[in-house]
Parts: sequence; structure tokens; C-alpha cells
Amino acid sequence: MSSSPAGLARLEDAIEVALKGGLALSTLLLLSGLLLGASGPLRWGILLLMLTPVARVLVVAVGLALERDWVFTLICLFVLGVLASGMWVAVRR
Amino acid sequence: MPVHHALIYLVTGAFTGLVGAMLGIGGGVFLVPILTLSLHVPIRAAVAASLISVIATATATSTVNLERGLVNMRLAMALEMATSVGGLGGGVAASLFTTQQLFVIFGATLAVMGVVMAMRSKRRNVIADVSVAPGVLGGRLQEGETGYVYRVRRLPLALAASLVAGAISGLLGLGGGIVKVPVLNTFCGIPIRVAAATSAFMIGVTAAASVFIYYARGDVVLPVAAAVALGALPGSLAGARLSQRVEARALKILMAVVLLIVGGRMAWEAL
Repeated sequence: MSSSPAGLARLEDAIEVALKGGLALSTLLLLSGLLLGASGPLRWGILLLMLTPVARVLVVAVGLALERDWVFTLICLFVLGVLASGMWVAVRR
Repeated sequence: MPVHHALIYLVTGAFTGLVGAMLGIGGGVFLVPILTLSLHVPIRAAVAASLISVIATATATSTVNLERGLVNMRLAMALEMATSVGGLGGGVAASLFTTQQLFVIFGATLAVMGVVMAMRSKRRNVIADVSVAPGVLGGRLQEGETGYVYRVRRLPLALAASLVAGAISGLLGLGGGIVKVPVLNTFCGIPIRVAAATSAFMIGVTAAASVFIYYARGDVVLPVAAAVALGALPGSLAGARLSQRVEARALKILMAVVLLIVGGRMAWEAL
């Protein structure tokens, strides 16, 4: 079964919220880090920005699962798996 | 970091974000050369900063393009499978080629794409008959009063291009849009605006596949990456809005020029 146009529009709204939220918070952290010369906010701002695309894929996966669009849910889970292995390689170093 | 350095990084990020957002590429093709050659940032730090800036550009651009209904989400997700694997595999393949060989292959490919793109800039991919079914991966597009339909052709080619784009992204710190957008537009039947918006939507994920590895290696120089990313945000928001006012043909020609300049420069670098 594939997702309805209305479901897809709802999903796009949810993605926008995730993207805007990630951007707003990391901009705030990066700006304050640069202005204050503090590395703490800079580090968190960068990490948050790096995690925003991961969060976006997660939102899409959940949204499509709710729509019972299983083929595309699987595709999203596959992408999440690849991103997770990238992080796993990073953590193990 | 001195204030004037921070300002230079901000302006650089803003410029690359602007052009990147208009064309659906991350802007890394300009950013990495500018950072390394003009600002003397070490190559790995430049690649890492570029990946982070690509994520910033992708995220900001997508907030605008989603509202406009330009992003083809299904196509993006299907191609993300290939780009994310390519992105992760980029580091492994790096040992098979010398940097020089990579530059020559990459530069020559881009230059050829630029010529093809310029030659076909008058051709349109859209079908004016809105009763035509777009298929599972195709879609609809509204330009002013007129509605269009487009269908995706040669999906295997699109997937292969995305895999290559991902690998190049992981190797050189680009988004990979410089490969995807011309292929999607020229060979796969996707209108240039949709190709750019869908690519921009994907490149954040492509960059995220390798950026954590760069971070763990200690390649992310915080103030540099932060300043470039902060510049890229307003730049790419402006670029996404500007691209809407520019004609499709002009976008294709801009893309062709960018391909020729970047391709030629990379090949030159290797010689």
C-alpha cells in the first residue's frame, strides 16, 4: 500500500518542523559560541547540525510506517542503518 | 580566531550556500578549493567543514523547497539508499585511486556533463498534459498558472549516479549534487527545479554518512566549521528563494558553467 497525498503533505509538515527546529537551535548555539569564543556551544551546535539529517530520516520512517507505506519505510530504515554504521565506525575510532 | 578571519569564512559560506542552494548542490565544489587554496585550511579540515556546511545548506534549502512542493520525496528516499552507501564507501575506495587519478576522472566527467547540459538547455522534461499519470516516482509541478507532469526515466542510471555522487561526497567533502543534478535532469526526465530541490533534500543525508567519521578523527576545526555553516544558512535561504524567480533555462546554463569551471579546474590541478 502506498501513502495518500494528504498523508504525504502531513509528513512534509513534520519534516519541516524537524529541520527548522534543528536549524534554529544549532544557529543559536553556533552564534553564541563564536561571539563568546566558547568551544562548548560550538561543539554542541555542530553536533546538532550533524544530527539533523539523521533526525529527518527518522521522522520520514515513522511517518511512512504510520501511513503503512511499507516499501518506503524499509527504504528509510536501510538509510538509517547506513547512517548508524557511519556513526558506529566513528565511535569505535 | 581573529574577527576578520571569521568574517571571511562567513562570507565564503554565504556565497557557496547561495550558488549551492540555487543548483541543488551543497556548494562544497567551491568551498573546498577556496578553503584550501586561498585560506590555507588543511585539506581534511576543509573537507570536514564543507560536509557540515553541506548539511546546513541542505537543511535550510529544504525548508523552503518543501513548502513549494518541489521536493520529490519518494525519489529522494530511493536514491538516498545509493548515496548513503556511496558516502560510507567513499573512504574505502579512496585507497584504490591516487588523488590525482580521482581529480582527472572527476574533472573530465564534470566537463563532459557541462557540455551535454549546455547543448540540451533548451529541451524541457515536463509534459504539459496534466492527465498523464506520473508513475510511482514521478510527480507534478506547478509553474505559475501552468501545471506539468514528469515521469522518471532510467532509474538504474539515477541510482548509479547517486552511488558515485555519494562516494565522491565522502572522498572530497561535497554534497554530490554536482553529479546527481545534471544526470537527473539530462538523462532521467526530471525538471531542473525538481532535480535541484530533490538533490538538496538528499545531500544532507549523504554528508551525514561520512561526517561523523571526520568528526571522530578530529578533523572538525570548530570555529572554521561554525563560521562557514553560519554563513551558508542565510546564503542558501536566499539562493532557494532566488532560484524560483530564475528561468529553468538560465538555471541549466548556470549549472553548465559551474560544471565546466569546476571540472576544468580539477583536471588542471591534477596535471
